[in-house]
Amino acid sequence: MGLTLKNLGILLAALVASGFWLGTSWGDGSQPTFPPVSNKAAATECASCHMAYPAGLLPARSWMRMMNSLENHFGEDASLSPEETAAISRYLKDNAADSATANERSRRIASGIALNAAPLRFTETPYFGYLHDEVPATVWKRAKIGSRANCIACHTRAETGSFAEREIKIPKD
Amino acid sequence: MTRLLLLSCLALLPSFALADTPQQILAAYQQQAGGASAARGEKFFFAKVTQANGEVVGCASCHTDNPKAVGKTRAHKTIEPLAPVANRERFTDPAKVEKWFKRNCKDVLDRECTVQEKADFVAFLISVK
Repeated sequence: MGLTLKNLGILLAALVASGFWLGTSWGDGSQPTFPPVSNKAAATECASCHMAYPAGLLPARSWMRMMNSLENHFGEDASLSPEETAAISRYLKDNAADSATANERSRRIASGIALNAAPLRFTETPYFGYLHDEVPATVWKRAKIGSRANCIACHTRAETGSFAEREIKIPKD
Repeated sequence: MTRLLLLSCLALLPSFALADTPQQILAAYQQQAGGASAARGEKFFFAKVTQANGEVVGCASCHTDNPKAVGKTRAHKTIEPLAPVANRERFTDPAKVEKWFKRNCKDVLDRECTVQEKADFVAFLISVK
């Protein structure tokens, strides 16, 4: 079979299609990996001390546990008014990793967590561990990273909910 | 259409009217405390406290030694400067000021701050030029 123009066309089309498939399957498509926080109160309040983590990073039981203990939030007082607490809790619950609207990735996070566990840190979930097992301990200690909670140190577009592989830039120091 | 625009502009008015100036916020604390001292506020800002876990902390732990500089939270997020001269949004929302006094006083001092401490603190930061 000679390499006709038609065959070449089919080959090219297949290449483009497989590239596209790989791209989207690794979260490199136009959709963010996780829908970013869309609730105004949640975005403002949560992001005053750290990135507004997408609701799809933790199951509802984790968010409820967190929202019920804001006066001691990882050692700091992050308490809110009862109205703000209720509104943000509702948003987090409705968009949690185990909610009806959760995307595939969030469902994988949720299914990795034991049903009797309600972790407060996404970084302590099996899914996070699985995706970061190649990162050496010394890298986490670099000054520009400092903490596993600091997504944006390496995931340059984390604040838009995008964690695509090609957007990762690990600081050298 | 014009009427709708006018109405929406009117609806926005109260939010502008509610915005306070740092001087107004200071005046309110000052009135409750019966006075304010920028010098005392400065001392308070730079004071260090040893916490139960042995950690030595103070305002400057997150806000840096320079109130005009950008600080950093423990989770590595930027904190805009405390001094109004470097951050015009600082001390313009009384509810926000109270919220952060409540949280940060508890974090650093393990108690609420007194009205006097709040008055002095705001007086010091306004005095930073």
